[in-house]
Amino acid sequence: MKYFMKTLTKSAILLLLMALPNLKADEVEVFAAASLTDALKEVATTYEKSSGDKIIFNFAASSTLELQIKAGAPADIFFSADEPKMNDLEKAGLVIKETRRDLLSNSLVIIVPNDSAVTLTSAAQLADPKIKTIALGQTQSVPAGIYAKEYLQKIGIWSQVEARVIPMENVRAALAAVETGNADAGIVYKTDALHSHKAKTAYEVPLAEGPAIAYPIALISGSHHAVVAKKFLDYLSEIDSLKTFEKYGFITKK
Amino acid sequence: MKLLLKKLQLHLGTFHLELDLEVSGQVIGIFGNSGAGKTSLLEVVAGLRKPTSGLIQIDDQVFMDTGTRLFLAPERRSVGYVPQDLALFPHLSVRKNLDYGRKPESSASCSINPNHVVEVLEIESLLGRSIADLSGGQRQRVAFARALLSSPRLLLMDEPLSSLDHDLKWKIIPYLQRIRDEFKIPMLYVSHAPDEVAALCDQVIVLRNGECLRTSRPTEIFETTTSMVLKPGIF
Amino acid sequence: MNADDAQVIGLTLGAAGLSTLLIFPFGVALAWLLARKVWLGKSLVETLVALPLVMPPVATGLILLNLLGRRGPVGEFVKNVFGTEIVFTWKAVVAAMAVMSFPFLVRTVRLAFEEINPRLEQAARTLGAGPVRVLWTITLPLALRGMIAGAVWSFARALGEFGATILVAGNIPGRTTTLSVAIYNDIQLGQDEHAYQLLCISAILAFAAIVFSNQFSRWGGQR
Repeated sequence: MKYFMKTLTKSAILLLLMALPNLKADEVEVFAAASLTDALKEVATTYEKSSGDKIIFNFAASSTLELQIKAGAPADIFFSADEPKMNDLEKAGLVIKETRRDLLSNSLVIIVPNDSAVTLTSAAQLADPKIKTIALGQTQSVPAGIYAKEYLQKIGIWSQVEARVIPMENVRAALAAVETGNADAGIVYKTDALHSHKAKTAYEVPLAEGPAIAYPIALISGSHHAVVAKKFLDYLSEIDSLKTFEKYGFITKK
Repeated sequence: MKLLLKKLQLHLGTFHLELDLEVSGQVIGIFGNSGAGKTSLLEVVAGLRKPTSGLIQIDDQVFMDTGTRLFLAPERRSVGYVPQDLALFPHLSVRKNLDYGRKPESSASCSINPNHVVEVLEIESLLGRSIADLSGGQRQRVAFARALLSSPRLLLMDEPLSSLDHDLKWKIIPYLQRIRDEFKIPMLYVSHAPDEVAALCDQVIVLRNGECLRTSRPTEIFETTTSMVLKPGIF
Repeated sequence: MNADDAQVIGLTLGAAGLSTLLIFPFGVALAWLLARKVWLGKSLVETLVALPLVMPPVATGLILLNLLGRRGPVGEFVKNVFGTEIVFTWKAVVAAMAVMSFPFLVRTVRLAFEEINPRLEQAARTLGAGPVRVLWTITLPLALRGMIAGAVWSFARALGEFGATILVAGNIPGRTTTLSVAIYNDIQLGQDEHAYQLLCISAILAFAAIVFSNQFSRWGGQR
C-alpha cells in the first residue's frame, strides 16, 4: 500500500511538471500601438473567456515596439500604427509576410483641455500665437507624430508651429499633456479623444484631407506560440472584433 | 576660589550626579575612579551640559541656578576648559589656536601677558607649526596655553596627563605648577591618579558613583604625598 | 560632434550647475539641522529627503509634474506671480535635477558634520565663541571637504538625471533635451552610433567630476 501511494504521488508530480510548459504555451504576447490600448483590451477579454488562452499586452509607441522586436523581445504579434514600422520589420525578416493584414484605420483630431476657451473652425488656426504649446507624438518616430507633422506640412503651417511643439513619447502621453492642461492643444487620433474625459475635440480632420493612417498587423517570425497567436490574429479579423474597434472610433477595412 | 554647588543634580540615563558642597582652594582636585562623574561635573561647570536642577557659583558669580532660571552660556563664563583629548583645532596653526580665545587688548579682563605664557610653557618654537606636527607633550602645553590665553577666571582640566607615560607626565607637572604659581589662576583638576592630585591640589573632592564622599586636603586622603596608596576608609 | 550636440552638452552642464548652486545653501543648512539638532518632525523630514533616492525616478517625476504643472499648486503660483511656466521648459530640467540630487548633497554634508568631534565646538565655546562664531570658524571649515564632495556628487547626479526630467521637462530638442535624454532619443530612432558618441561624452564628464572631487579633497586636506 505504501509503495503504491509513493508511485502515485511521483506520477502525479511528473504529470504536473510535464503539463506546466503546456500551460504557458497558451499565452500570446501582443506588441500593440498605444492608441489601441482600450479597444484591444476589450477584445482580448472576450477572447480569453471563450478560448482559455491568455493575451499579454505591451502597449507603446510603434517606434519603441519596433526597436524592442529588433532587439529580440519575445513578441508573438505586432500591431503597428503605421506602415513604415511594419515594412522595416518585414525587410529584416522578423515578421511572417503571409500573415500581414490591414485591419484598421483612424483619423486625426485637434484637442484642447476641457476648460479651454479655444475654438477652431479650421486646422490652420492652430498657428494662432494664443496657442503656446502643442503636444504631438515625436515627429520623427511616433506614428501619431509623423502623421500630425505630415498633415501640418500639407496645410502649410508647420514652420509656424514647429517651435511650439512638445514632442511626447507616444500618442497617449500627448493626450495626457493636454488633459492636464500642460499643453494648450494637441493632435491625437480620434479614438484617443473619444476615450478622454478631460480633453475635448476642437477640430476633426476630415478623412479626405488627413493622412492615410493604416494599422498593419502580423505574426512575428520564430514565435514560440505561433499556433495560438494565429488563432488570436484570425479572431481579430472577425465581425465581432471589428465591431468592438468601431465602437471605439476606429475605421475598419472590410 | 570658592566653589559652591547647591543641590546640584544631573540625570544621565542610569547615572545620577548629586552634589551639595562648598570648597575653597587655589587648585581643587576632583578625584575618583572612572564612572564617578568627574567629567560630567566639569562639563556642568563649563556650561556644556545642563544639570537637571541646582546652583553653581564660583566666587561671586552664579553660573546657573534652576531656581531663578539663570543659565550663563559657556562663552560668557570665562572658563578655560582643557578636555581629555585636548580638542586642539586641527585646521588652525598653533598660533591661531592660541589666539582663538584671546580677548581684545583693550579689555579690562585681559590680565595675562601672552609672551609670559609662551615663555612659561616653553612653546615659542612651536608657534608656526600645525597641530598634526606636535608631539604628545607639546600638544599638552599648547592646550594649556590656549586656555590660559583666554584670560579665564578659572581653569578646568579633565585628566590632562592621563594619556602620557610616567616620564612625560612628570615633565609636564612642573608646567602645571608654574601655571598655578605664576599666573595664580584657580583650577578644577580632575584626575584618578593620586600622585598628580597630591602634587597639584590643595583641596580634593572625592567622588564615587555621582556622590561626594568627602572634601579634604591631599594629605588626609593619601598615605604619603608621593605614594599611590590611599588611607584606609577613603572608599 | 556638431552644434546640436554642443547645445545639448551646454544645456546639461548649465542646468546641473544651476541646480547644484540653488540647492547648496539649503542642503548645507538642512544637513546641519539634521546632524546637530533634535526637533519636531525631524524623522518626517529625513524620510522626505530620502524619498527621491529610493523611489523610482519616474515616480518622483510624476509627483513633480503634478506640483509644477499648470494646474499644480506651485505651477499656478509661479504663473500668477511671475507669469512664466515651469513644465516643458529648462526650468523644469533644473527642478528635476535639483530634487533628484538634493538627497545626495544632504547625506554627504550631514556625515561631514557628524564626523566633527563635538569637543572641538565645545572648546571653542569655552574660549568665548558664541554659536555663530563656532559655526563659522570651527564647524564649517572642518566640514568643507564634505561640503565640496556633496556638491560634486549632487552635480554628477544632476548630470545623469533622466527619469524625472523626461516626465516634467519632456524631450524638446534645443530646449529641454539633456545629454541622457539625447542618448535615449538616439536609441529610439535607431541612431546607435550617435548614441555611443554621446555616451562617451557622458562618461568623460562623469570621470572629470570625480577626478575634480578627489583633487579638491586632497587640496582641502592639506590646508
